[in-house]
Amino acid sequence: MVRENTGLPGQPDAPESPLRQILKFLSSMQLGIILLLLLAAISVYATTKEMNVAIGSIYTSWWFVGIMAFTALNLFLCTVERAGPIWRQVFKPSRAVTVEAIKRMPSHRAIKVSRVGSDPLEAAAGALAVGGLRVSTQEGPDGTVVFGEAGRFGHFGSLITHISILLILLGAMYGALTGFETRGGGYAGESFNVPEGRFQAAISKVTMEYMPEGPQVRPRVISEVTVTRDGRVIKQGKIAINEPLRFEGISIYHSTFLWVPHLTITNPDTGRTEGPVKLYDHDRYFYRDRELYIHTLAFFPDFTMNHQGMPTSRSYATNRPVLAYQVVYPGGTKEPWGLLELNKPLTVETKNGPLELTMVGFENAAVYSISRNLGRPWLFTGSVLLILGLYMSFFLFPRQVYAAFDAKSTSYLVGGRSRNKLGLEQLMDRIEEEIRKRKGE
Amino acid sequence: MGGLIQVDPTNLMIEKTLFTLSCLIYLLAAVGYTVNVFGKKEWGGFAANTLRVALLVHTGFLVMRAVNVSRVPFVGHYEFGNLFIWATVLVYVWTEWRLKDKYHAVGAFLMPVVVAYIAYLTVIPALFARITVSSAHNPLPPVLQSFWLKFHVSSSVMGYAGFSLAFATALMWLARTGLESRPDLLKASPFINKLAVSLPRQKTLEEYMYRASVFGFLFQTVMIITGAIWADASWGRYWGWDPKEMWSLITWFVFAVYLHARFTRGWHGKRTVMLVMVGWVTMMFTWLGVAWLLSGIHSFG
Repeated sequence: MVRENTGLPGQPDAPESPLRQILKFLSSMQLGIILLLLLAAISVYATTKEMNVAIGSIYTSWWFVGIMAFTALNLFLCTVERAGPIWRQVFKPSRAVTVEAIKRMPSHRAIKVSRVGSDPLEAAAGALAVGGLRVSTQEGPDGTVVFGEAGRFGHFGSLITHISILLILLGAMYGALTGFETRGGGYAGESFNVPEGRFQAAISKVTMEYMPEGPQVRPRVISEVTVTRDGRVIKQGKIAINEPLRFEGISIYHSTFLWVPHLTITNPDTGRTEGPVKLYDHDRYFYRDRELYIHTLAFFPDFTMNHQGMPTSRSYATNRPVLAYQVVYPGGTKEPWGLLELNKPLTVETKNGPLELTMVGFENAAVYSISRNLGRPWLFTGSVLLILGLYMSFFLFPRQVYAAFDAKSTSYLVGGRSRNKLGLEQLMDRIEEEIRKRKGE
Repeated sequence: MGGLIQVDPTNLMIEKTLFTLSCLIYLLAAVGYTVNVFGKKEWGGFAANTLRVALLVHTGFLVMRAVNVSRVPFVGHYEFGNLFIWATVLVYVWTEWRLKDKYHAVGAFLMPVVVAYIAYLTVIPALFARITVSSAHNPLPPVLQSFWLKFHVSSSVMGYAGFSLAFATALMWLARTGLESRPDLLKASPFINKLAVSLPRQKTLEEYMYRASVFGFLFQTVMIITGAIWADASWGRYWGWDPKEMWSLITWFVFAVYLHARFTRGWHGKRTVMLVMVGWVTMMFTWLGVAWLLSGIHSFG
């Protein structure tokens, strides 16, 4: 949009339309800086809160999402507004400038020479070319100007950076709107449904691999899973930490593993045995014969007692598997907790009569995080573009140098602009040196 | 130095010796740069060479550490701290080599920062019982056994190195500006006068600060991106709003504001210097503050 000006002397510029003023404000860098500082300040405050509280009350709140959206809008408008001028800067730079304009450039110098020669600008063009610039000559208002440029695509850096951040934000938004996050898992032989993804996953094997350093180090648990939909296998594979199973934009990640003790419960009065039942930590199994629950507290693969007299595990090796359990009555009253060793039946006296508990085995179960993120390709593309954009912005320094010759003072006027001020000064030194050399100075 | 990995006693001794030696040589280089900045110009070259030797010895330490833990030494405060110091010195040595001896004065401001980092790994845990920096040789937990670990940590230390260099330059700018505003002090003390003369002009320092910030910013971006990709493979989501992630992003925001303000608003001088200093503080908080004051999923960092 061009501001209207009749050109009459003394007449002030016509005011911009309100819409233009609003757009200008929304796309302004000033607003961008304020929004970034605001996001930083809120984030600082949020990290003083407990993580889940911060996620629930700050990061996912309407106002935080609103500030993010406002930042995205600012970025978008800024990108749109700058696209045209940047395009012109790269493909249609102003090659013809006045001598005054050269003198006003961030770096400029007058190089006086004693010998002029037939074509003084030839030396300037040669010097600019030696400086690694692409040279052309143009007739300007004050005569011929030699124009040299390099790294012009660096101008696109900020544009690409801004577009990449928009892509990342859009990808995250698209992923959140079309995706889901849930959990599932089990031991070998179990399966679980994921209604959000319309599939079922059957676990066929869960194995524990100890690290070479021994069982003191948290082992790696690998599970084999078959994913089916309407009875048809859609994916089959191994899942381990850092090795998710991916299909249709859905990923199944190994989250953690659990121990699953196998328990039999016998009524000593009747000799009737239930089980073996497979119980996770903190599971409750209702034993009808005695009207009570068997509550599993924790499983210790390599049982020992610590200094405080509490059960613990020396390692992940199954050297001495012990289950900590508790009898809980329907009203909530509990018996003191007890310990159950592998294959050692234990008679437990309860208010409702005795029962015999035996841990007859145990196995591992895998716990998974399941998510679908269709925004992943956007996020990847955005990430790659972000690095490329930053590299172009900061390391491909666009340089523009203009040179004119003033026959009256027998001086070359050389002016240049670049974001890399030190680099530009070095380039100007080189050009000056080259001009002097070519002029036999 | 106990740990779950059994280390050959000779290797252990070599590792400890190389670490102690590199710390001492870093200290000597810091002294050399300081003497240089106070007018003894002949100390500049000595300090620069000493720093290069220290870097070599420190490289030897990192290699030995890698041999002793049979993996990249990138995990925990001790290993990360060492890598961070090494990267900071590497970036400075490279800059010094590129810019020649004109910038020996920067070493006088950067090396105290490096010595402070070394103190965090050595002296501070000895003085404050609450701070423990374990040098135990432990294997990588399964969650860290990822292709992305090397890229994430490498980019992180390079980013931090750039920001440390920018911070040192910001300190120089403040020193130079402060001294300029006290001509009485410069007249009264030839010692202080020599310091003022040794410091580059504010414009040059701002340019240097900008370059170091840009370097740090690029690597900080790579660090955040590689961390997000790794988190996606490991935990099933790119972003978990974990305090470490958030503070990395806060640092990124601060430097983004600095770069934009400089670029498009034409900010310079004290305002940009203060932004860089705030950026360094947020970076340090990401490294240390989050570990000691906040909790999150980056417990291994």
